[in-house]
Amino acid sequence: MRYDQATLPNGLQIIGEHNPDAQSVALGFFARTGSRDETPEISGVSHFLEHMMFKGTERRSPEDVNREFDEMGANYNAFTSEENTVYFGAVLPKFQGQLVDLLADMMRPTLRTSDFDTEKKVILEEIAMYKDRPQSVLFDVARETYHHGHPLGNSVLGSTESITALERDRMLEYFERRYAPNNLLLVLTGNYDWTGAVAQATAASATWQPADAPRALSAPEPYAYERMVADPKRDRVYIALVAPAPAAQTAERFAAEVLAAAVGGGEGSRLYWALVHGGLADSVGLWYDSSDGAGAFYTYASCSPERVQEVLQIIRATLETAQRDGLSEDELARARRKIASGLMLGAETPMGRLTAVGFDWVYRKAVMPLNEVADHYLAVTPTEVAKLLQTQPFATLTVVVLGPLAEATPGL
Amino acid sequence: MAQQIKTHHFPNGLTLTVETMPHLRSASWTLLIPAGSATDPSGRSGAAQVLNGMIYRGAGDRDARALSDAVDDLGVQRGGGVDREYMTLSGALLADDLPAALALYADIVQRPQLPVDELDAERALAVQAVQSLQDRPAQRLFQELNRIYFPGNFGRPTLGEIDELGALTPGDLQADHQARFCSDGAILAVAGGVEFEAVKATVEQLFGNWAGKGPSTPAVKLRDEPLYHHLPQDTAQTQIGVAYAGFPLGDPEYYMARLALNVLSGGMGARLFTEVREKRGLVYSVGASPRVLKGVGMVLGYAGTQPERAQETVDVLLGELRRIKAGVSADELERARTGLLAALVMAGEATGSRAGSMAADIFLLGRPRTLDEIRDAVEGVTLAALNEHVSTHAPTNFTVLTLGPAPVEIHSI
Repeated sequence: MRYDQATLPNGLQIIGEHNPDAQSVALGFFARTGSRDETPEISGVSHFLEHMMFKGTERRSPEDVNREFDEMGANYNAFTSEENTVYFGAVLPKFQGQLVDLLADMMRPTLRTSDFDTEKKVILEEIAMYKDRPQSVLFDVARETYHHGHPLGNSVLGSTESITALERDRMLEYFERRYAPNNLLLVLTGNYDWTGAVAQATAASATWQPADAPRALSAPEPYAYERMVADPKRDRVYIALVAPAPAAQTAERFAAEVLAAAVGGGEGSRLYWALVHGGLADSVGLWYDSSDGAGAFYTYASCSPERVQEVLQIIRATLETAQRDGLSEDELARARRKIASGLMLGAETPMGRLTAVGFDWVYRKAVMPLNEVADHYLAVTPTEVAKLLQTQPFATLTVVVLGPLAEATPGL
Repeated sequence: MAQQIKTHHFPNGLTLTVETMPHLRSASWTLLIPAGSATDPSGRSGAAQVLNGMIYRGAGDRDARALSDAVDDLGVQRGGGVDREYMTLSGALLADDLPAALALYADIVQRPQLPVDELDAERALAVQAVQSLQDRPAQRLFQELNRIYFPGNFGRPTLGEIDELGALTPGDLQADHQARFCSDGAILAVAGGVEFEAVKATVEQLFGNWAGKGPSTPAVKLRDEPLYHHLPQDTAQTQIGVAYAGFPLGDPEYYMARLALNVLSGGMGARLFTEVREKRGLVYSVGASPRVLKGVGMVLGYAGTQPERAQETVDVLLGELRRIKAGVSADELERARTGLLAALVMAGEATGSRAGSMAADIFLLGRPRTLDEIRDAVEGVTLAALNEHVSTHAPTNFTVLTLGPAPVEIHSI
């Protein structure tokens, strides 16, 4: 593996992790923007804009954009989170130039009103689709409740109302602030041609003007709050618990990941044995979500309505026991091993490395070679985990329960 | 560089295939047992699902926890599950640990403890999985579409039926394990940084004494009459599912059908996405994908939209499926071809995808296809041949299922 890095005069950064054995090239533009950078009046604009970026440029119609991706046989898409918007594709190496040209051009969209109006309908369908998914509704409520006013609790999709009311010119205004070259990053992984990519990106972005793209970085205050979302249409009950965790920039992130895996990382974790093995809940998980200047542990479970008090009590007890007594060396060893092998398997393809390499740079302005990342996880000691647990992360829990229950269910 | 794929047939009927990917330190395997939910005994729908959970609850001399810990000690990313035609046990890990992992899975397959006192817990999980479908409208749609598209036992839900799950006894479970987990017809596919001879020696030692012949899966039949059915449910979006016949692997029309489907639903520039989403904004999600079973191919189409737009969506969706009969353009064929070939190369970089594809190929075709073979077949399709194909074999006899607050009108299917 070879690592490349360049910063263009307009502030656009380019990084790469080169793998000469790969059969493909993956590349993507990472915009440091998302729902946390929105105000309530434009809620959902980051995600709606992500869709509009595929709707054509000065040089390309919307049909051209889709057709050109397909002509390269690209495996491509985009996603928007609370704080990142990423446009990516993977192609055979001979199409690298065409893909850079297309994605770079897409970063300067025309945002035509007629396309905006049609795409608004698609966004409203996407919102309707997620309303039929109880886990999505649950986590939207849980994020919002835990962050209680902090922008990291903002909904990525926005609401039917905010999207219906959104105007094209407000989107343009947002675009101009957030898609300045100094707020963008171009990432390449796999078998790419570095010189060619830098030359092309330099030419494509020659007219892009840097701008101020600030972000408020206060950490959310941990919040103990319990909320019931009565939803008689559901068959099952869905439970989320949110607790504070280290930020993406901290060295504690490795210990946080190992802790989450040991306590609730699927089969073989403490929560799995406590709930799923005996059939009390059909699904449970705990994971570590790291963000810019903040972080959280999310616990999720689903169970039958009549089991909800018992399941919630067992989750709380499991978290409290871990916090009080720590974890055994054996448990941590298994968790470390699973994380390290997962990293290696993810790295088989350039696409599998793209977001890891990109976010490494977004959050830490460095790219850590894969083996070093694996070594960091494998080196997490019980003492480091104990130190993290000393901060009492599970002492302040936001709990959200959604399902066919009465508002005042006892024991919740 | 040419692929390095080697296959060996053991005397007990187990087939081993290995693709060596020399620059990788990782490896994946898929062990395919050709006895899936279609062979669930009558009145015992869901038996394979419960058995698939129970085999991990202790095996050899390890109880459930010791077994799970041993698998995790090796860093195995676990996979597998139950399909209609087969069950799979799969995993991915660092290649050096493969022999140790296969030893654990040899116990799981041949010597599971099937602890009687854990049957109720496993059954409770299976029942909850069925109940969860009510909260997953798209998954429920496809379960019910399969039920009506495959007449008879084959169409029973893989997850099982709640009352039949309740009827399973510990005796059923023992007998079911004996009947299904047999060496004859089983397939082990491995891909990654491993050598064929070493894997073969390991497998011989671990699975050489495995024996038996499993139940035969009933031949797959597809509904040949068109049908429209509606399932009422109070959802935000109406779910629309369409099934129609395609071509099985090995059929001379197979690659043409595959390319025609890519014209319809290959990328964002393909017809369904363009007409249903891009031009009309009717949906977030629309598409059609192939499913290949033994001797049979089919296509499953999907769209989800709010109820007031369901009629227009189903009209446009079925209209586009039919319109392919009028022919495809040279540009469309080239895009479909490039898309298929690129996807092939990129899937060829991942060990899990290679192991899964090789196991499926052996099950369906008797041998793993190489990427070169597929590339030659795809490159050999001419525009004239494809247009002949679509005019003769245009999608027809649709089975349509909607799920949502209200039905739509289907004028001709």
